[in-house]
Amino acid sequence: MCRLNSIENFTALQERLIAESHPDTPTIVIPAGTCGQASGALNLVLTAQHEILSRGLQNRIRLRVTGCHGFCEMEPSVLVEPKGTFYPKVDPAGMRRIIDALLRNDVVQDLLMADGSSGRNYENLGDLPFFRYQNRLLLSQNEKIDPLEITDYVKLGGYAAFVRLLEHNAPGEIIDELKQSGLRGRGGAGFSTGMKWDFLAREKNGKGKYLVCNADEGDPGAYMDRSILEGNPHSIIEGMLIGALATGADKGILYVRTEYPLAIKHLGTALTQARKFGLLGTNILNTGISFDISLIKGAGAFVCGEETALMRSIEGRMGEPRQRPPFPVQKGISSLPTLINNVETWANIPVIFRIGAREYASTGTGDTGTKIFSLVGKIKHTGLVEVPMGTPVRELIYTIGGGPSGKVGIKAVQTGGPSGGCIPAELFDIPISYEGLSRVGSIMGSGGMIVMDENTCMIDVARYFMKFLMDESCGACYVCRKGTQRMFELLDDIAAGKGSLEHLDLLEELSLTLKDASMCGLGQTAPNPVLSTLRYFRNEYLEHIEHKRCPAGVCKELISFSINELCTGCMACVKACPEGAITGEKKQRHSIDQDLCTRCGACRSVCRFDAVDVQ
Amino acid sequence: MNPEHIEKIVQRHRGEQGALFAILEDIQNHCHYLPEDALRKVSQLTGESLVDIFGVATFYKAFSLKPRGNHHVSVCLGTACHVRSAPGLVDEFTQQLGITPGETTGDGEFTLETVNCLGACALGPIVLVDGRYFSNVKRPDVKKIISRAGAGFRESTAERAGSSFPLEVVCPHCRSALLDTQNLIEDHPAISLMASSKGTSGWVRLSSLFGSRCHESEHAFADDTQLSYSCPTCGRILTTATPCIECGFPVGSLAFSGGGSLHICSLWGCRSHRISLNGLGSPGVAHEEIVTRV
Repeated sequence: MCRLNSIENFTALQERLIAESHPDTPTIVIPAGTCGQASGALNLVLTAQHEILSRGLQNRIRLRVTGCHGFCEMEPSVLVEPKGTFYPKVDPAGMRRIIDALLRNDVVQDLLMADGSSGRNYENLGDLPFFRYQNRLLLSQNEKIDPLEITDYVKLGGYAAFVRLLEHNAPGEIIDELKQSGLRGRGGAGFSTGMKWDFLAREKNGKGKYLVCNADEGDPGAYMDRSILEGNPHSIIEGMLIGALATGADKGILYVRTEYPLAIKHLGTALTQARKFGLLGTNILNTGISFDISLIKGAGAFVCGEETALMRSIEGRMGEPRQRPPFPVQKGISSLPTLINNVETWANIPVIFRIGAREYASTGTGDTGTKIFSLVGKIKHTGLVEVPMGTPVRELIYTIGGGPSGKVGIKAVQTGGPSGGCIPAELFDIPISYEGLSRVGSIMGSGGMIVMDENTCMIDVARYFMKFLMDESCGACYVCRKGTQRMFELLDDIAAGKGSLEHLDLLEELSLTLKDASMCGLGQTAPNPVLSTLRYFRNEYLEHIEHKRCPAGVCKELISFSINELCTGCMACVKACPEGAITGEKKQRHSIDQDLCTRCGACRSVCRFDAVDVQ
Repeated sequence: MNPEHIEKIVQRHRGEQGALFAILEDIQNHCHYLPEDALRKVSQLTGESLVDIFGVATFYKAFSLKPRGNHHVSVCLGTACHVRSAPGLVDEFTQQLGITPGETTGDGEFTLETVNCLGACALGPIVLVDGRYFSNVKRPDVKKIISRAGAGFRESTAERAGSSFPLEVVCPHCRSALLDTQNLIEDHPAISLMASSKGTSGWVRLSSLFGSRCHESEHAFADDTQLSYSCPTCGRILTTATPCIECGFPVGSLAFSGGGSLHICSLWGCRSHRISLNGLGSPGVAHEEIVTRV
């Protein structure tokens, strides 16, 4: 039996694991989260396993397969410990060379990431600008942990904070310390986590209370929660255990969206291991305290991220939101008091109690702690970045993200998903904080940061979000169901060149109606993407309406493609055109038949010579 | 779908939080959609009204009341994929397959769907086909993806040879070799173990090629049988407390002579296996040893 029967047992195990860990042994670390696997990380794992086993290197080299490290664009990547050597975009042949070099205690220079300007190579992960300016309080744990091994987490000091609090068992002190840390909900709304816990702790009905981890990360373009769920599942479990101690909850629920199959597997494994160890379930470490967590899979509905809809979904019903009050803390799942926190919030809890609230609160300006963002879209270095609260947007985009990905400049960044807004480039000096972002018409949201450049059309973006919300509106409120549909139609008209100035007035009027009359957050915040693009990019709307022009070259009805003199006659676009609209001979400039062209852009995407213009 | 199977599924999830979701999911995994008679049966067995069940089945995108094709294409339309031209991919799939999102080809081969976000935003646009992720997909890639999926992603012999290799395992307790040179599977000595379930005990032989699922056994175990593996030499139990990542059943843990371990699922039908070279030795066994020592 694996079960630990006392607090002393746990402490002895932890000490033993740390003593036996030999951190100096050369270790190959391969991130194989969903994005790693999508870029071929499992082939590298296989190659490394084959090399180590066939050459009998088990005692000289270790292999650790982990979740995401954050620099997803460079995957499949390899990190070599203890030096911290970082190799981007490795192929199996490269993997073999890395192993050979490692045996000689050497580094493969030509596989390292090169610094474009100085010409020298970055050897260490910490030297890369992408990592150097981050403060990876949560994400750095992912490198150290094989998510399928509870012992890796325990070795890092995992569960120690919970066990220490379990020993003292002073719920009031836990909540006080949490309040001191200043932690606010990372799911978007930013409510004080300590206050929320306090509310639940005060509920006394004797019939049980629920803790829920909301892992229904539905915002398109945001995936920081997935990286924690896949890469460090025990941190969520430990966070919830501490929550149970503080609030007296006896039941826990992890609600994970079904689109994250790997996260579901890793969480399932982690829960079983924690139970086998006696850290979860009835009579934890023989202290008499019981708390267990069930894993529930979502089934693909964005609105279930809203807490009242989430609770209905957990009960196995349609995920339609309901009026608040009563708030979940008063009347939640099966009418029992329920506390819902987001994944990143839960993952912060063990860190706070490991390093202490004061130390935690010393990070960040304005708000405390760090926030993870998924920095994606038209940016050079895409991936997950974790920065202290208060970091200016500009630093994220230019210093860490490396600026624009293409030849054209960055125009705006969209934060907060479909409930958020666009921040124009001239406001990039604002600090990232809950209040800072809402002052400029956006929100912190769960942490999606989608970068847009001059080739992104803001009307298209607004229409995209409205289409999304129209499809995802549950339909319970008329204003939301019909309002999102009408707003989509208006935006669609504008994008098709059929808009008038009255369209803009109507959009603004409908925005106010949706804000005021929708029941849940989905409808109340649905106008945000439209309002913020109207506020900062009204000119683009006017171009579409008055001049029937799409300046970014995106809206199909308003653009045309032509081939310029840079064409070398390579025939690539001729082959790519699905309509047969492009004609031309080899080595002669091609031309596009405007009547046949459907403006799909296939020609532009295959052209290697910038010879396809869009007007 | 036969009624006994549905009964089994309902029974399995009885009393679970949100059991209806799990029941519908299991039925859909089995049939690739939710047939009407199955939903009626679920209503009968659970006492839930058919209206509520129909509500859930239509509210959530993961459920389908229409039969789905053999191959399932999902184009991600998350924001990051959208700004990197994912809508063009939907157009291309629509053109190539002759169906719009939500539809299935007439021959029942392909179902095309769009999904809000698969969470691999840094690599967009992303397409998910039969559980495989394709990253940075461009329009011209679509044809290739369809033809590879149609062929069931069968790899060429050369590719397979590169990704599979024989494993030499020993008993983690007595260190005696577990390879049986008398009995070959796929031209390699088989991994030979003793397996027992509910009083039935006999040998099982598994292919020693990593990734292969070939096997033979003395008794014909049903796929949902949980086996207890033991070493044919010392007789000690190899099944540990470590759960299988695919099905959650305990895994059997075998050792490599030079260190590291191979985990094989104890559920006969699962046959998932995984190599661990993280220096912990054989984790299941190691944990137990550590705990016993403390």
